[in-house]
Amino acid sequence: MTTAPHNILEVRNIQTFIGQFHILDGVSVDVPDGSITVLLGRNGAGKTTTLKSILGLTPPRAGQVVFNGREIQGRPAYRTAAQGIGYVPEHRAIFRDLSVAENLRIAERKPGDLARREEFIFGLFPDLKRLIRLPGGNLSGGQQQMLAVARALVPENELLLIDEPSEGLAPVVIEQMMEAIRRLSAHTTVLLVEQNFIMASRLADRYTIIETGRSIHSGLMADLVHDEATIQRYLGAAA
Amino acid sequence: MTSIWKNNRAALIIVALTVVILGGIIQTMEPKVWVSIMLSGATLASLYFLVASGLSLIFGLMDVLNFAHGVLFVLGAYVGLSTFLNPRLLFNTLPIFFVLIASIMMSQHLGRAFWSRITDTRTRRIATVVLLAAAVGLVLLALRGFPMRALNAFNITAVGGLVTTANAQDPLALMLRRLLLLALGGVPLGLLLSPAERPEEVSLRPVWQTALIAGTSALIGILLLVWRDSGEVWMLALSPDVRFILALIMGTVAGALGGVAIETGLIRPFYGNPVTQLVLTLGLSIAGIDLIEAMWGEEANPPMPTPSLFNESCRSDSIIGWFSEHCQSVDVVGRAFPTYRLFIILVGVLVFIGVGLMLRRTRLGMIIRAGVQDSEMVQALGINVRRVFTMVFALGSALAAMGGVIAAPYLGVFPAMGSIFQLQAFIAVVIGGMGSFIGAAVGTVILGMARAFGDHFVAAGIDLPFLDTVIKGSPAIARASTVLIMAIVLLVKPSGIFGKKE
Ligand SMILES: Nc1ncnc2c1ncn2[C@@H]1O[C@H](COP(=O)(O)OP(=O)(O)OP(=O)(O)O)[C@@H](O)[C@H]1O
Ligand SMILES: [Mg+2]
Repeated sequence: MTTAPHNILEVRNIQTFIGQFHILDGVSVDVPDGSITVLLGRNGAGKTTTLKSILGLTPPRAGQVVFNGREIQGRPAYRTAAQGIGYVPEHRAIFRDLSVAENLRIAERKPGDLARREEFIFGLFPDLKRLIRLPGGNLSGGQQQMLAVARALVPENELLLIDEPSEGLAPVVIEQMMEAIRRLSAHTTVLLVEQNFIMASRLADRYTIIETGRSIHSGLMADLVHDEATIQRYLGAAA
Repeated sequence: MTSIWKNNRAALIIVALTVVILGGIIQTMEPKVWVSIMLSGATLASLYFLVASGLSLIFGLMDVLNFAHGVLFVLGAYVGLSTFLNPRLLFNTLPIFFVLIASIMMSQHLGRAFWSRITDTRTRRIATVVLLAAAVGLVLLALRGFPMRALNAFNITAVGGLVTTANAQDPLALMLRRLLLLALGGVPLGLLLSPAERPEEVSLRPVWQTALIAGTSALIGILLLVWRDSGEVWMLALSPDVRFILALIMGTVAGALGGVAIETGLIRPFYGNPVTQLVLTLGLSIAGIDLIEAMWGEEANPPMPTPSLFNESCRSDSIIGWFSEHCQSVDVVGRAFPTYRLFIILVGVLVFIGVGLMLRRTRLGMIIRAGVQDSEMVQALGINVRRVFTMVFALGSALAAMGGVIAAPYLGVFPAMGSIFQLQAFIAVVIGGMGSFIGAAVGTVILGMARAFGDHFVAAGIDLPFLDTVIKGSPAIARASTVLIMAIVLLVKPSGIFGKKE
């Protein structure tokens, strides 16, 4: 990269409270256009809350979230999402009583979204095509994870927030998932949360480390993989 | 498929058990007896269902237990009755609501400007109290001496005839002055209800749209008032059948509007604070009945007349015969059964099919089903879930109110008529599984049947083949039977027959 890349998303020093609890105390993340950026950190560090704060599900009390040059903090989550942000939450949140087809159709923002993107989605996840009539609740963990990513791809999203896509999956399925994320990132910028450091280091261009509600480190993934000290210190056994 | 069996094992077992028990009971009876008991059960089930379906959807989607749902049933019955017998009451009172709502809607737009000027919390609190006092004061002033009692008295005079009785209503000029005061009273209310302080709220529509809606509302109110005399004569001259349909529409619409008012005014500011919501709907279940008594009086009204389709004093041999004869009752395997109750059952079935199709086939239905499981995820997909909440609240309230209207010819109309339905619907929803539409239907059918068979055994006793004496139940046992069924179901499956959440 020779020119400074434009950031599609900039999180600037956000403070988030859940009820009385001060969960995020100064998180800043830059997500360059077209990149895969990963949030690293131990369990309970605040990675999920950072994603939710970006989307507005847990609105930050202070700080800015700038998406495509516009401040979006404080807006209702549905409006932020409709600006072009797709969300693949922790634990997938597939609608169990809806069929696979309905799980995809509900994500349409305008009629015909699914028809336009069908080929791309089933190209990434061919399995989903034959499961299309099943209730989401009958899918295996891996299939649900694929469906959750597919659902976020139905509308034309410019940014995907993906929370721990490898969680609880078998190694073969993790490989498939990595490959899918690599391929979709050709079209969409990705902000990823991933505990599996091997997966994170192979996918991501950039990283931000979060420790007890603060972002304490960020940079190029290529540099981090050689920085044993930082990995040991902040990620510990995870690496 | 095995998965269907696995997912619904408890449901299938309970339903099979119910069928076996029912079958066993039926074995000991003549067909004409059990068929008519089951039809009575179905009538009750239909009315329970109209209340329970909304209760269940509202709980499923918003986690709100709406204790005020029975009030909407009563509201529907009263609005329906007034439309049928006493349109004068409506012509004089509806404008009050139309103008008040118009004023509230318009002044909500001033909310942001108003509240942004007051930044410190103490002043805000004082402003809230002052606004509330101003609103209550102005509304009370506007309605001082309003001739509610005299308006009500018309209930008695006019079954089916033309009434041109002397004025039991305020002169037009006085009414218009009242409306002006109400419009002023709506301003502080609108400021109080403005979403300026809550960013995650649904934002307001553009001012011109609000102005259009509010303007139309106010205009309708004023026109109703100006044309009240000719309007009344026109309405009472309509055939009773048309008036019945009008009553059904008016009652249902009143329920829907009541639901929107409850959701936006009481529930919405307190999402994420379920105890407050619970206390508020509980309070409203009492205050709402008080308001209805204040408007329509405490006395019980006789049953509303049925449409002419169910009116001839004869007994048809079959449903086919009834189509041409319009008898009050029809012969069902040797016993007379009131035809109007068949109509009640039909309405319940149609609502079940209609709402069921809406849930299965439409995008709104898909969003509702998804939202029952995880409304935050629906929101994260870019869907304004709060608006869906309001729509579902309106729908559920409309169904309850519709139940009230169709129950009016069957039960009569009185302030306490909703409480039993509220309770039974609540039990049915718990039995069927909170948030499940099918569950609400199954639960209400079980309860309706239990009630009908229970009443029968209280009257006739149980004649078991291996006992010499007939066992007679007490009415208390018949009433308690529904709670007993609930306890048994909950022991087998704590989330209810079709329940998914705990
Ligand atoms: N609803 C809540 N109420 C109180 N505390 C919460 C709530 N949600 C999260 N927390 C706390 O906030 C902190 C950050 O949680 P978060 O889920 O963002 O962490 P995370 O980095 O995603 O962790 P994990 O790797 O386990 O998913 C944790 O300490 C958690 O206990
Ligand atoms: Mg997490």
